[in-house]
Amino acid sequence: MSEDLLPVPEVRVDTERALSRLRARIDAERIAPVTRAPRAARRTPVSIWARGLAAAATVAVVATVLTVSGVAETILTIFEPKQVVAVPITMNDVNGAPSLATYGTLTWSTPPRPFDVPDLRTAASESGLTLLVPATLPQSVGAARYGVMPRTTATFTFSAEKTKQAAAQQGRTPPPMPANIEGSKLFITGGPAVVMVWDDGTRPTANTKDPFASLPKLMVAQGKGPLVQSDGVTVEQLQSYLLAQPGISPQLAAQIRAIKDPSSTLPIPVPVDLATSKKITVQGVEGIFIGDSTGLGSALIWQKGGIVYGVAGTLTEAEILAVANSLR
Amino acid sequence: MNAAEAMRAGQTVPRPIPPAFEELFRKEYGRVVAIALRIVGDGDDAEDVAQDVFVSFYRKHPADAPYAPSWLHAAAAHTALNVLRSRSRRGRRETAESAGLDREPIDPARAAEVAETRAEVRAALGRIDERSASLLALRYGGLSYDEIAAALGVKRSGVGTLLRRAEEAFRKEVRS
Repeated sequence: MSEDLLPVPEVRVDTERALSRLRARIDAERIAPVTRAPRAARRTPVSIWARGLAAAATVAVVATVLTVSGVAETILTIFEPKQVVAVPITMNDVNGAPSLATYGTLTWSTPPRPFDVPDLRTAASESGLTLLVPATLPQSVGAARYGVMPRTTATFTFSAEKTKQAAAQQGRTPPPMPANIEGSKLFITGGPAVVMVWDDGTRPTANTKDPFASLPKLMVAQGKGPLVQSDGVTVEQLQSYLLAQPGISPQLAAQIRAIKDPSSTLPIPVPVDLATSKKITVQGVEGIFIGDSTGLGSALIWQKGGIVYGVAGTLTEAEILAVANSLR
Repeated sequence: MNAAEAMRAGQTVPRPIPPAFEELFRKEYGRVVAIALRIVGDGDDAEDVAQDVFVSFYRKHPADAPYAPSWLHAAAAHTALNVLRSRSRRGRRETAESAGLDREPIDPARAAEVAETRAEVRAALGRIDERSASLLALRYGGLSYDEIAAALGVKRSGVGTLLRRAEEAFRKEVRS
């Protein structure tokens, strides 16, 4: 800034006097402050966020540790999704798979802190994303609500000792952790992301077994896909080590091994007992359509231009596809 | 009438201003005025804009919202530009009414000098697109690139370029 294009007279502000003036006006006009918008309307996106994030984090991390392949000499990107693929999982896979905590320690450098924002503009400014919005909305949806998930980063450090302890508690004997995996690190980045939620005023009955029970009428999520970097672990060995763990079914291991381009494919776990999935063209790219077996809810997930998109709701396949293709 | 009397009289009493809002006000008031001042060019007008901005934030948003500063900065620029535009419409009317009376031959040097007066600068600011005008006000009002990016919903990496373009557009408008 070499020259001041907007010269102004010097003004000295008296903040306390200004605050008194504001108090007087608020009092005179009887203006009530907003502390929080109505509870019921506000809680949902955050809890959706928390659940969505937990799912996304699990997917990203499981995807990474299970699908990475190739040899890394130094810090390099080992996982950056360019496409998505459905990986059918059974409830046994979900319940039997060891949690990430079994293998080491996850440390958040920037923990996930989702928050609600009042409008689209704020969602865009808070996330820094160029947001797509649906031009077509199903009938009977109310006003949109918005949530922002800022960029989140975490480091995962493998620990042979922790693995041993966890296995001992469950009375299992895990395969020994290779020396080069012990102590190695994964750097995981997710987001920023934005979720938009439309309700129709009705809430589906809670059914914990139904993954779509908590779905709003319509939800559109978009965000930077997860990125995982490694500090030099021999990831080929990592893959074979993890896929040989007790609790990972041979079918699941085979599904994961079958992914052609594991370092750029985001596996979306689809519980086969509860939902079906198929490939579908959306926004000109290949995505996945997931429908629950009751036909009550459906979801579409795809990746385009470095952004992972998801549209879900208690809508039919045709409706959800129409919304997804109308995003611009 | 105090609060207790008002309650007895069956009237609703405005809740006291939440401490978080007062804290936000103390922290951001000076900057909101500085941004508005760059646009309206007058201290009293800038403080009026700041009052309106804080009142509308108070009506609609919780004081502890993480987007509060960005919202206030953007609203300061936006509200000030509205004031500027309504003022320039009024100004044009008045100028048009008196135009026939004291028209002088235009001397380019004198014209350039006149163009540099604050009033002309403000008028030029009111003619360029709103985002450019806001960008200039936020930058000259003392905001960092990060803060500008947050307020206007643009990428941090693009602020420099947008700012240069805004300055060019503005210079062109002042010259014309």
